[in-house]
Amino acid sequence: MSECSDIVQLEGVTRAFAGTKAVDGLSLKLKAGEVMGFLGTNGAGKTTTIKMMLGLLAPTSGTVKVLGGDPSDPHVRAHIGYMPEVATYYPYLNARELLAFYGGICGLDAKTVRLRADSLLESVGLADAAKRPLKTYSKGMLQRAGIAQALLGDPDLLVLDEPFTGLDPLARIHFRELLRGLKERGKTIFFSSHELGETELLCDRVAIMKKGHCVYQGPVKDIAGDGATNLERLFLKTLEEAK
Amino acid sequence: MKLFARQVCALVKLSFVELWRRNDIFALVLLGLALMVPLSMATPFGAEGASRYLDEMALLLVWGFSLFIALGTGQRLFPPEFESRTIYPLLAKPISRGRLLVGKYIGAVAASWSALAFFYVLFVASVLLRGGTFAAELPQAIVLHFAFVALAVSVSLLGSLLVSASANLTLSALVLVGMFFFGRRLPEYAEGLNPALAWVVKTVYAIAPHSEFFDMRQRLVHGWGAVDGGVLVAVLAYAMWYVFVVILLADVVLNRKRV
Repeated sequence: MSECSDIVQLEGVTRAFAGTKAVDGLSLKLKAGEVMGFLGTNGAGKTTTIKMMLGLLAPTSGTVKVLGGDPSDPHVRAHIGYMPEVATYYPYLNARELLAFYGGICGLDAKTVRLRADSLLESVGLADAAKRPLKTYSKGMLQRAGIAQALLGDPDLLVLDEPFTGLDPLARIHFRELLRGLKERGKTIFFSSHELGETELLCDRVAIMKKGHCVYQGPVKDIAGDGATNLERLFLKTLEEAK
Repeated sequence: MKLFARQVCALVKLSFVELWRRNDIFALVLLGLALMVPLSMATPFGAEGASRYLDEMALLLVWGFSLFIALGTGQRLFPPEFESRTIYPLLAKPISRGRLLVGKYIGAVAASWSALAFFYVLFVASVLLRGGTFAAELPQAIVLHFAFVALAVSVSLLGSLLVSASANLTLSALVLVGMFFFGRRLPEYAEGLNPALAWVVKTVYAIAPHSEFFDMRQRLVHGWGAVDGGVLVAVLAYAMWYVFVVILLADVVLNRKRV
């Protein structure tokens, strides 16, 4: 892990696709143990930023450092857990086989994978469905399988793309508690979301994107006061002012 | 090295599970059984020698099935990962694209070989049940067939990264089947053409995968004897070289592909 306390460092990052800037001059820092919510309307550049943080896309200009290194380096990615927005995973595998597969890709030995898979499936509430093919899972169950695979390598940084999408209220509470537990264990969490209430309940800081620009960054406690609507107000006001 | 071995092992397992849990493979296996079992029982026209035609037919079926499986397996390595977005969590893991490509290729070849081995078991059983025997060239024929399958998977894999599934399967099948039946006649054919067309035909001959090099069906059926060891090694070296170049090209394409 990086010696510096900034787990994620983005400096003047721009990413253009065919001349159009999806992300423009973004600078962002995330400290160890912090939970940051990444907000913005559709097409604001959230997923592009996440892909750059994972080394899946190279920035057109600027620098991206994760855990002190280049995220395109597999050694750096060994410490990152990622859950995509929508993933169907492999429909012909069951949850246990899915974790065994990803465990192998992470280079874990069979015994470690088995132990971690048991514990993770238990903690995400999939222990009873562990032997069912993923094609029979509901969207919420797939999200839970997704978080389990993201946590398999015991990552220092957890990157979640729209983690609350498709979860019913009970699953949402369960998922929130799971993330809180991870935060208490010192994990750094970065997640994009449209769920302002969940973001306010979980995050230390938020960043708001609009058309590729970061229009707000700040601690949640500065805006907290009378409930979840504060972030909603801030979000709408920030987007309005950024016009 | 240990990490690479574990990653390849995981990808090989995935390919096996993917291949053998698919419904179309069961259909193919049933079709294989439906065709091979009657062949094993037939005694055409009461003539003992005519059984070699049944062997030829059975071998052609094995070749057809193996090509179908090899092309399908190669095609399914990456496009479904992009479509279902499973490529994102996969590439977010500590694995490079090159390593992923090699691991997936090895997995696809191993899975296709398992299916080919199954069809050869059926073929051998059909011959034995008919009271037939095996010529010494059978092991050579099988080795070359396995090499051909490895080559076909690589061609299909490269095509899957360049064009749509239907285009890839059609083009790969056309090239491989075309070379299988007409490859050896291309130089002869080029001689009768005008210089420009002759150049095109010669270029195709130089670049296209020579499926016909791997075909020992006639030798096997008619008992013409084994090929010289040097020839066998040369054909295997050709297969390895061809696969190496194709996988290298696929690596370039995959690394340039935006996810």
